[in-house]
Amino acid sequence: MNYKSGICTFCGTGCGHLLDVRDDKVCGVFPMQNHPVSKGRLCVRGWNVHELLNTPEKITTPLIRKDGKLVEASYDEAVSYLVEKLKKVSPDEIGFLASPRSSNEDNYLLMRLARSVFNTNNISLDCDPGHRISLDVLHKGTGMAGMLGSLEEISRADFMLVVGIDITKQNPIIGSEIHMAARKGSRVFTIDTRVTQIARLSNGFLQIQPGAYKIAIAYMAKVLLDENLADVDFIKKHTEGYDSFTKVLSSLKESEVVEKTGVDIEVLKTLARDLALSRSAMVFYSSGISGFDRETVSYIYNLYLMAGKIGKEGCGVNPITGINNLQGSKDMGIAPDLLTGFQKLSDSAAVDKFNKEWGVKLNTQAGKSPNEMGSKLRAFVAVDHDETIIRNVDDIKKTDFVAYIGSYQNGFMDYAHVVLPVATYAETDGTFTNTERRVQLAKKKVEPPKNILACWQVFSKIAEKAGATWSYGSPADVMKEIAKLTPSYSAVSHDKLGIGGVKTYGLDRYDAEKAANKAAFAPVDANFAVPLASEEYPVLLLIGESQHYWHQNNLMKKTHIPLREYNATLLLYPQGYVAISPQKAKELNVRDRFPVKIVSPYGSMETLAQVTDKVKPNTAYVAYFVDEMVTKFFMEHKDVLKRGEDTTIPVRIVKV
Amino acid sequence: MYLINKSQVLDIAKELQKEYQVYGPVMEKEAKQCMFVKVDDIAELDLNAPIPAKPPKHALFPQFERIMSYQYDKKNQKVEIKPDFDSSKKALFGLRSCDLTGVLCMDRFFLGQEFVDDVYKNHRKNMFIVTNTCNVPFKQCFCVCTDSGPSAQEGYDLNLTDLGDQYLVEAGSDKGKALAEKLGLKNSDDSHKKAKSEVIDKSINAFDAIAKDNKAWISRVVNRVTTGLIDEKVWEYIGNQCIECGACSFVCPSCTCFNIVDPVTGPETADRMRTWDSCSYEGYSRMAGGHNPRKPVEDRRSKRFFCKLSYSQSKKYLRPGCVGCGRCQWVCPGDIGLPNVVTYIRRDIQK
Repeated sequence: MNYKSGICTFCGTGCGHLLDVRDDKVCGVFPMQNHPVSKGRLCVRGWNVHELLNTPEKITTPLIRKDGKLVEASYDEAVSYLVEKLKKVSPDEIGFLASPRSSNEDNYLLMRLARSVFNTNNISLDCDPGHRISLDVLHKGTGMAGMLGSLEEISRADFMLVVGIDITKQNPIIGSEIHMAARKGSRVFTIDTRVTQIARLSNGFLQIQPGAYKIAIAYMAKVLLDENLADVDFIKKHTEGYDSFTKVLSSLKESEVVEKTGVDIEVLKTLARDLALSRSAMVFYSSGISGFDRETVSYIYNLYLMAGKIGKEGCGVNPITGINNLQGSKDMGIAPDLLTGFQKLSDSAAVDKFNKEWGVKLNTQAGKSPNEMGSKLRAFVAVDHDETIIRNVDDIKKTDFVAYIGSYQNGFMDYAHVVLPVATYAETDGTFTNTERRVQLAKKKVEPPKNILACWQVFSKIAEKAGATWSYGSPADVMKEIAKLTPSYSAVSHDKLGIGGVKTYGLDRYDAEKAANKAAFAPVDANFAVPLASEEYPVLLLIGESQHYWHQNNLMKKTHIPLREYNATLLLYPQGYVAISPQKAKELNVRDRFPVKIVSPYGSMETLAQVTDKVKPNTAYVAYFVDEMVTKFFMEHKDVLKRGEDTTIPVRIVKV
Repeated sequence: MYLINKSQVLDIAKELQKEYQVYGPVMEKEAKQCMFVKVDDIAELDLNAPIPAKPPKHALFPQFERIMSYQYDKKNQKVEIKPDFDSSKKALFGLRSCDLTGVLCMDRFFLGQEFVDDVYKNHRKNMFIVTNTCNVPFKQCFCVCTDSGPSAQEGYDLNLTDLGDQYLVEAGSDKGKALAEKLGLKNSDDSHKKAKSEVIDKSINAFDAIAKDNKAWISRVVNRVTTGLIDEKVWEYIGNQCIECGACSFVCPSCTCFNIVDPVTGPETADRMRTWDSCSYEGYSRMAGGHNPRKPVEDRRSKRFFCKLSYSQSKKYLRPGCVGCGRCQWVCPGDIGLPNVVTYIRRDIQK
């Protein structure tokens, strides 16, 4: 049998697939019918994963920069050079940029390498804080750092709210599950600033003003309060901190809600009642780079807690991760202040455990994300990155030393002094944790090319050269150590992971009955300010994903069919596009593909207009994908972008 | 017609393996999923396995296939272009009749009158086909509505029908007959022929229970699709549910669309690759000047069902493009597998 079972490597859904392996090559892919999440479905990305695995754009040998050029070297030479350079700078000048694509084992070892060998806590993902906000809120509230519901239970949710996520594009198979549940009678409601596909498939849709999610959700909570629809028994038995939450709601005025959200208040009220009166309910929102701010996430969580729709069958607050192992990377302590399983560096008992296991004394001072180190960054190591846009490119250019470790060629190589190739995910064992905390094992299916090491072997080699003794024989050994040190992963071991794997915390979903502590309402404030358009900048610009372009995806560009689809967009709109409403187009006297200029207080850019009724007249939408557009325009809006891509920029659009 | 004991039926495959690469239904053990794949160990073949998730079309038309290689000799300024065909002889064993019908549709496309596709021809020539009658339809099937089952009518070398403790073996070609004679199979008589027709009648009757309202409407819908009398709103309703994954085309036994790409593999080498393509993708119908006659997703969707269920397409294949296997229903993230589309159109007709 030439089909080998595995896990799709693109998004956080974690679909099951079978790879067609012949003569040590991946020749095709097929969906896995008995997989608990995907049940025989894949999206356009998943159906073309073999094209990526066959790309000639792999890194084929270790490289060292000599006289400005990268030249071939051996692993020994390259690793020695890397260690020598990192030892030259002080630990707080080193930054590690990990990847939400790497397996749990690889992320764990990188985390160990940074903290225990190079003595620095400057390690993070590029998309920090993104998903971290959700994890913080949910962990603080329930003790569970991850999705509270279960994808398998979508069919058992009577009511579903999809908030600010284009889910059939970002995580198509989760979108499919929601749609299938709707066909069987569940009620699905979408709140978004744009008309998305799931909006069209929903029982109802509210097109909201940008930045007004928080006030809309807060108002739904207020409706529950005013109409005595809160689940008081549940609140009493399973929660704490309810009173301080309701106190915040008291100042909320209906007129303010109408003005700021721009939606029909009666519909919003009905929505709140439907939520409260349903037997079970879930909410889905985007987590990761395009996620909500802490306040909005807290309000969503509080609303569901208040309605008693957490910790029961078919219920849950579900942050949806965009990248395959974003959840796992956070679980592996890829953050300046975390150890594995959301154990904090500030927790001395947890640190002692790691000190003992690793035979070191860890620095417990939280580090910084390399993206935020600025000129302090002198040596920089990036692992397995897939974006074409490097955020802190100016800082990186100024550093003394840059290393890139990964399977595929990437923009970081232009600045790297050392490049270390590693095996692709089909060439080694590794586990990945999907958006619902499901840990799944993708087994090695093909041999790596001659002389290419797996990531865990490369990290072990680096550790060894730096004077540490690591004795892992396989990724399974690494997972044994992770399970030992991480309560939420204690049940995970490679030999027990079959189709569908297991979930962390040993729980399919958060269970209010079994929880050791009561779930706490998240602290929230009553600041419901929304971004305002002015006379000078009358349009609110939104940023997000587009159909086949996804997370500035360097990987998509290495395929054929998805690349063609992306190019189809780019051929129409070579400089990218700004989506404006037909009304706005008429006002500006432009038609589709006419050049326009977007002017903000920070700068301006020229692009083409895309005329669509998917956006409201006073908003515009830009797909975050064209290099120039992002580097020349959005990077100037650093403070704005830090709040996530859901943030909006007031702009003026003029005809060119 | 011949008979073979059930316990010996795999001897046919063993005999074939001497001369051919044998493909057949195999259960993947870990995922417990039936796949139609090349087998090395004949014992892995399972004639009782459910209809394979992946149709046998990939044996003739692989998902991702190198069809040519270029090599540039810089010094002598010479280019070498080599056709790179897999010309091994293949035998498809235990094919379901719907999948054989799919192969016949592909033949009409790739080996049609005007143009012959050499790559396909190399896979297809010298092929030996052993079909397997479906005694019981699988739950998503509707081959009786598309004239493609439950037992193969033409195009096979040998056709097997399970008669209890033995299989009836019908030879559909001289090649098939020669193999049956070589294996020394005993001849069947009229009682076996009758037994086969009883098996088929029973199987067809079983469709009543599973072919709910939608399936019997296929011929009416063919009429409607051909005459274009379907309300645009129905196509919009269908298009709204399309997630544009391409799965329906990839699992369809009769879908033949492909894309050609030329990846550069080294400083002086390149490949020509052929990959499966799908009409659900926007880039599929985009023309060189940027014009796209089927830009909205509902237009692309209606195209697919036009291809599967219209007279003009039937003229090309001499039969409907749909073979009634129901796989598109399995893999669709929306709810627009072909049987459901028939339901939506029926609802519209009945209005």
